[in-house]
Amino acid sequence: MIAPVRTLVAWCPDWPLVATGVPLDEPSVVVFANRVIAASPGARAHGVVRGLRRRMAQARCPELSIHDRDEAKEARLFEPVVAVLDDITPRVEVTRPGTCALVSRGPSRYFGGDDAVADLARARMAEVVGGRTDVRIGVADGPFAAELAARGAAPIRVLPPGTTAEFLAPMNIDLLDRPDLTGVLRRLGITTLGAFAQLPANDVLARFGREGQGAHRLASGLEERLPDARRPPADWSVSAEIDPPADRIDRVAFVARSIADELHRRLGRDGVTCVRVGIRAETEHGEELIRFWRHEGMLSDAAVADRVRWQLDGWLNGSAVTRPSGGITSIALVPDELIAATGRQLGFWGGETEVDQRAMRVAARLQGQLGTETVLVPEFRGSRHAHEQLTLIPAVTVELAGRSLDPGEETAPWPGSLPAPSPTRLLLDPVVVEVLDESGAVIEVTGRGLLSAPPARLIVKGQRKVVSGWSGPWPIDERWWDVEAQCRQARLQLVTADGRALLVVLEAGVWRVTARWD
Amino acid sequence: MAHRHARNLAVDTLDGPHQAVRRAQLELVADRVAPLALAREQTLPVHGALTSLFPGGALRRGVVVGVGGVGATSLALAVAAGPSAAGSWTAFVGGTDIGLAAAGEHGVVLERLLVVDPEPSAWPSAVAALIGAVDMIVISPRHRLRETDARRIGSRLRERGSVLVSIGSQWPVGADVQLDVVESRWCGIGIGHGVLQSRKVTIAGGGRGAAAQPRSLDVLLPGPGGAPHPVATVD
Repeated sequence: MIAPVRTLVAWCPDWPLVATGVPLDEPSVVVFANRVIAASPGARAHGVVRGLRRRMAQARCPELSIHDRDEAKEARLFEPVVAVLDDITPRVEVTRPGTCALVSRGPSRYFGGDDAVADLARARMAEVVGGRTDVRIGVADGPFAAELAARGAAPIRVLPPGTTAEFLAPMNIDLLDRPDLTGVLRRLGITTLGAFAQLPANDVLARFGREGQGAHRLASGLEERLPDARRPPADWSVSAEIDPPADRIDRVAFVARSIADELHRRLGRDGVTCVRVGIRAETEHGEELIRFWRHEGMLSDAAVADRVRWQLDGWLNGSAVTRPSGGITSIALVPDELIAATGRQLGFWGGETEVDQRAMRVAARLQGQLGTETVLVPEFRGSRHAHEQLTLIPAVTVELAGRSLDPGEETAPWPGSLPAPSPTRLLLDPVVVEVLDESGAVIEVTGRGLLSAPPARLIVKGQRKVVSGWSGPWPIDERWWDVEAQCRQARLQLVTADGRALLVVLEAGVWRVTARWD
Repeated sequence: MAHRHARNLAVDTLDGPHQAVRRAQLELVADRVAPLALAREQTLPVHGALTSLFPGGALRRGVVVGVGGVGATSLALAVAAGPSAAGSWTAFVGGTDIGLAAAGEHGVVLERLLVVDPEPSAWPSAVAALIGAVDMIVISPRHRLRETDARRIGSRLRERGSVLVSIGSQWPVGADVQLDVVESRWCGIGIGHGVLQSRKVTIAGGGRGAAAQPRSLDVLLPGPGGAPHPVATVD
């Protein structure tokens, strides 16, 4: 069995918050799609943790300052931190802004051991980070264990070769970050990576498929995927010349997007996909910058263009020492880790679709822009007035994906509600009107629920209208046993001669228009 | 090549002896040189009873639909119902008084509905944010929209492919499709008996470009139960 590659992972805690520029001891969080994705130590002290909804986080810590995620800024600020590792090894992989990995075998031979490399990497990175946050280093067999080691490091943790499985064994199964799988395992009583690793590999593959096999290999301290004997042939990389040399990022990103398309076509033709892609940019004076980017799913062309933008933004706007002296003349994409493309199945019926995600993103954006109480969604509540059975509640209080408003069998019928069609406009401020009979007397409703005379005219804000059709009254006597909450009403549907239909309600001797059919 | 061919055919069709044959040939060529992504693919579905109000029988993406007259809200909901039923999201901007039960009865899927209620000054930016993220935006402004904002919103709509339905007041720069309820009569309610059931409306259509041709439609809106219903099949 092949041991995983010795990997060094450097992790800067709370990087999304560092990118916002707020001091970490203040309670602040970064949210994305209405969920907390990073919480400062100050916020964690109040019990605000990752994954909380924005509203819940505010409830736990009212003085919380909330920031929207800005991935481009995170990546731009991380670039100078990664750049100092270029002297140690040419192949630094940015897992995501705030975390990077490198294969430590070569450098540790050169510098004299994993500890020496880790010390060197930490010293250089800490200099650039400059006290904004910590730098933690983990060295282990394989990137998964190395990242966990970095997260638990104080500040450096080097696991001796061959001890990865032992290190992982007592860890929580949720660290695999596959909620569907770990949910099942938990119900089976498997709560640690060690317990999962003890299951026979063949049975895991048979029951949980490829994904389960990958998770099992990780838990056992192996590489997630069986190493593929195929080396990517050189011609799978795609490149484009940029003429005249570009000094603006958007032009390069535009070119990158088109070659990303080309790359996907080539890979797709051969039934493979890449989870790691190298982006190489060259300037007219021969300076070169290459970075590797990893992605859990497949990197789409838009995702590649984003990464090109982040990488070059950090380079072109970096410090005077590292900034290139000329415009960019060529850009190349190098697929690095290839796996067989198994395809990704999106929801067919129900589930989240692209359309839903776009709507949820805009809802979160508008909440940030206009305030949470201005973005509303319908919610069911009971009422004897058909048109009041639905009400508006702030969108932050519910989960937008996969909602169902069907009250189901929970609700009993509401006697006295009027049949469809419901009025299309509800008057938030009911208008007081006079409902008159032929002789001009105000119409009353008797104790037995009968009109004193047929309605003939309506006076709305001083304007006289002729009633051409009417129906009712439908009396309501709600909570007659409660002096304060009781509600005694009579409702009429009125149609005026100009074709408008109104719902008028008599309560406490006053007629009001409460809704209309527009 | 194909274009030149088409032009040659067109020139001598005028007084050629076999006009019908040549016209057929011309149509064949026109079909061959037509772009692959046809305009009709860039559309959203419309409720069956309303198709004759829209050029091509479907709602072209990127247009502004103005609705007016007594019954405008009902008409706006009926227009929004088509795309909503097909999976699109709908957003009401400023329409917090629109009856949600009525919206549901007209066919708007309430699970995919956002209601945004910004201050008048934040209106343009709220609408701009929604364009591209939701397919149908129904606005019912209580204040006057500025012409410059309307132009900017219009160009953003054409770029991102959402449809905006403006209830009531005239769209400041002229809507692409303008629908007005010119006549309406309620059915089902008498003098002292019955209940509101449906409303027979006459809708007059106008607009710009392909929608400029005047057209008119009689339809039950709301029909029995809420959704629009063709007149003939009920009577």
